[in-house]
Amino acid sequence: MNTTIKEQNGELVAVLDGRLDTAAAVQTEKDLQPLADCAGKNVVLDCNALEYISSSGLRLFLSVLKNAKGKGSHVFITGMNNDIRNVFAMTGFTNLFEFR
Amino acid sequence: MDAHGQILMEEFRRRLPKLKELEAIALQRLEEALEQQHLEVTAIDHRVKKENSLAGKLELKGAKYQSIDDITDLLGLRVITFYTDDVDKVAALVAQTFDVDWSNSVDKRKLHELDSFGYNSLHYICHLPAGSADETLCRIPFEIQMRTALQHVWSTINHDTGYKSDVQIPREYLRQFGRLAGMLELIDDEFSRLRNSLADYRRRVQNLVASGQLDEVSLNADTWESYLQTRPLDRLNRRIAAVNQAEIFPTPLKPFLPILIALQMKTLGDVQRFIESNADDAYLLAVNQLGVTDLDILTESVGLQNLCIVQALKMGGGRPAIVRILDAVSTFGDNEVLAQSIYDHASALPFMNNK
Repeated sequence: MNTTIKEQNGELVAVLDGRLDTAAAVQTEKDLQPLADCAGKNVVLDCNALEYISSSGLRLFLSVLKNAKGKGSHVFITGMNNDIRNVFAMTGFTNLFEFR
Repeated sequence: MDAHGQILMEEFRRRLPKLKELEAIALQRLEEALEQQHLEVTAIDHRVKKENSLAGKLELKGAKYQSIDDITDLLGLRVITFYTDDVDKVAALVAQTFDVDWSNSVDKRKLHELDSFGYNSLHYICHLPAGSADETLCRIPFEIQMRTALQHVWSTINHDTGYKSDVQIPREYLRQFGRLAGMLELIDDEFSRLRNSLADYRRRVQNLVASGQLDEVSLNADTWESYLQTRPLDRLNRRIAAVNQAEIFPTPLKPFLPILIALQMKTLGDVQRFIESNADDAYLLAVNQLGVTDLDILTESVGLQNLCIVQALKMGGGRPAIVRILDAVSTFGDNEVLAQSIYDHASALPFMNNK
């Protein structure tokens, strides 16, 4: 699992690449740390190359969302494959996030 | 300006830094007091008098003031409220927060004759309470004006148009201003009455919901919110969560209201029956999807989303109805594939095959 953060058009973009399972979640949490300082910028979770997400991954997304909301920022998710969309729909996470 | 006026102006210039300091303190205390009481206002304006404005005042009536302390509006704050009742609430807060000089304060609302209408505002001359700040600051008077947004609009237009003009305003126009003031006073009262009626309505609905008289309550944004406070979906959500020993994360359920209305629910009684009659099928639909995963985190919308899908399918809506539900509750977009997958899961369940 590879995670890279970049700033693009005034937004913080996290590009997630690989399988975000329980084993990868600890390292991904560290990799997403720069998003904690998102005041004044929206956050984009780029899932175009994300193959799989587990409950640990959903919790990570949730903590990114909570932190961003607390700072007045929005979190957008982009490029989810159909399997991950299914996970979001069956857990009710679709209602929490904004999608592009 | 005469010599006395010039002395007062010199005193004003020396006092200016203190006035600025006082402005910041008074504003902060006023904002804190309003926030503590959760009192929302449209705006708080504040200013230290401009030198040219003071000069005009001194030229007109300089002899009236013995010392600079007699000019009580060198610092002015103005609280503009939404509702006329809130003017009195703000006034009570101001009296609690500052020392009010009652002999110089004036309620312009009470100065009108029974048949006259015009400037309506409450003016308090205040001091910071002794000992609550630097002693020099506590001795400087300042004015707080309190009025509604409509009163503010009227007085601003009236002020700009007539008050400072050198031209005498004809009587017919003055009468027009008076008529408008009367009309705005009526509108202010109507807004207050509407707010009170809405508060009564909400209390009545809450009582009906609490006593289970749900067929008496029509379904709308207010009543839906009241109904959700009775936690009608907890049992179903807990049942679904138990499948994977999942935790349930709170999420707003407001976006589901248009779906419930589209599913022809008119009262909270309809919603209650919708939950009762579809809960088992919604549970099976959720389990059919979640049971083959180890997902152990859900949101509170999971039960309601499945209830809506079940009801829509029972009404013969098919896959397009699922698409509409997904479109309404998320910004996903392009929900065709997802809807097909949910439809395939539902197709295997008894409620789709017992029609």
